[in-house]
Amino acid sequence: MASESARANAASEVGYRIDDVNWRQRSVKVMALDRHSEAVVRRLAQQRWGGTTFFTAAAFAPRPDTDGQLSMVNWLSDLAGRTKDLVDELDTIDLVAMVATAGEAVPVASVIGEAARTKRVTTIAFVLGSASTPPEALSKTLAQLRPWALMLVMAGSEEAIAEALAALRA
Amino acid sequence: MLRREQNDVLTQTGPNTPGGRLFRSYWIPALVAEELPDNECAPVRVKLLSERLLAFRDTHGRYGLIDEFCAHRGVSLFFGRNEEGGLRCPYHGWKYDYTGQCLEVPSEPEASGFCGKIKLKSYPLVERGGVLWTHMGPVDRRPRLPEWEFALVPREQSFITKRLQECNWLQAMEGGIDSSHVSFLHRGELGSDPLFKGAKGNQYNLHDAKPVFEVAESPGGLYVGARRNAENGNYYWRITQWVMPSFTMIPPRGDHPVHGHFWIPIDDENCWAWSFDYHAVRALTANEVAAMRSGKGIHVQYVPGTFRPLANKDNDYLIDRQAQKAGRTYSGVAGIAMQDASLQESMGPIVDRTKENLVSTDNGIIMARHRLLRAIKNLADKDVTPPGVDPAHQRVRSASVILEPDQAFMDAALGALTVRAGIAHATV
Repeated sequence: MASESARANAASEVGYRIDDVNWRQRSVKVMALDRHSEAVVRRLAQQRWGGTTFFTAAAFAPRPDTDGQLSMVNWLSDLAGRTKDLVDELDTIDLVAMVATAGEAVPVASVIGEAARTKRVTTIAFVLGSASTPPEALSKTLAQLRPWALMLVMAGSEEAIAEALAALRA
Repeated sequence: MLRREQNDVLTQTGPNTPGGRLFRSYWIPALVAEELPDNECAPVRVKLLSERLLAFRDTHGRYGLIDEFCAHRGVSLFFGRNEEGGLRCPYHGWKYDYTGQCLEVPSEPEASGFCGKIKLKSYPLVERGGVLWTHMGPVDRRPRLPEWEFALVPREQSFITKRLQECNWLQAMEGGIDSSHVSFLHRGELGSDPLFKGAKGNQYNLHDAKPVFEVAESPGGLYVGARRNAENGNYYWRITQWVMPSFTMIPPRGDHPVHGHFWIPIDDENCWAWSFDYHAVRALTANEVAAMRSGKGIHVQYVPGTFRPLANKDNDYLIDRQAQKAGRTYSGVAGIAMQDASLQESMGPIVDRTKENLVSTDNGIIMARHRLLRAIKNLADKDVTPPGVDPAHQRVRSASVILEPDQAFMDAALGALTVRAGIAHATV
């Protein structure tokens, strides 16, 4: 007599798998961290997505405001240019995907990362152009991203980012 | 998650499929050399990429990999007589050489030249490193012979096995780049398996159960880096190599032999899991070889006379619920290879990736699929040779290294990630 596993693994059993939808739409925020990646994010945003919205933090300036704190306002915006509040945007979302360009300074990663950590939101970072960037320059970008990204992908192309987001049901 | 058509492209490798064309770009392992130990030994049935073939070694030691069936009336040449420079069909005496060329048709006048018009499909079969390799693509696109380090070191430095895995190649291969499952499924083996235990790097694994993953493209595939905290603010990196289409090399532990895999489709619902161990600069010890022969590390014990694992789906993989409850094994199945295979086979013959829900730590898998799909498309649309065909892409090593915190692992460890003759793997 066939074992449980032998029966269960057979091709004839595949048709008996539950066919209900086993997932709900994820809410993903894709954030460009610098000028070059903003252009990339704008192109990504033109594709069809489920629960994904796109932002740019490229205007972030790591200058303290008058109180000596890093400014938390007026730097995150949607792609229409409307200013957004980071903390509000992180409410009830599943994933923050940061997009950075290798060799660029991305101090905003720490602000986004800190807020995501507080809100217990998973973060992932995509770095474009790593293959063509000198190691020292790439290291500077990585140093700013690593503390805040659960997963870091040196993406070979914009297409790779799009595929990754699609694979994550963005 | 993949769309259904993407899943089909990646999982179907038969003749005239896009994925099959990809696999036919490479030299792939077909048999262990011991399967054809002597001239005129018994032929061996081989199914690869959904093609039924027959391997044999003729009177002069030449290896042949030909269509399994006689061109006359379709008899399996498995029953053939391996004699006098060819394989003779026992039904009516038609005889073929190692290239599949028919040499004799006894019923026809010799002068008729009829046999010259009969030729079975054949592929080259070349021994390298104890493995018989074949290239099933067009002759005019045949690449240089493979240059994987494990196949080039002296034979006493390597140990190579294959085992039947009863599922599609892709879900098996994806386990090889899914570093995050190790902390669960294989957690018992780090401290007990003779081919793993004792390495200093194991301490980093045990002290930091939540590694952070980074993925970067390599010339032939991907580097998958898992980073853990080490002393003085540095990172302990374990860097896995994946080279297209289905080669993985696991990072080393201490001075243990390094190991890795190929996953080669038999058909769309079965594959060969090839497992290799080697040391770049020394012979394997008798104890190491004995451990490998007894199924330790990434190897298995077999049903005698076969390449089917002793623990298989017909006996529920010999699952031991007491061992599971006591924590000796995490899943109740013994041995790293069968811990993986039991779960991968449980997905069904070809897993439906439209239903999966991947998370951030699955990005190694996501990027590998992306590279495979891109290569398949480029090959189909523009005839672009896929990554991994060039022997330069094969001269790679995995590594375990301590690096300063801000370094890009693939740049900082670049020297450790390529073959360096006479120098051991970079390992902790």
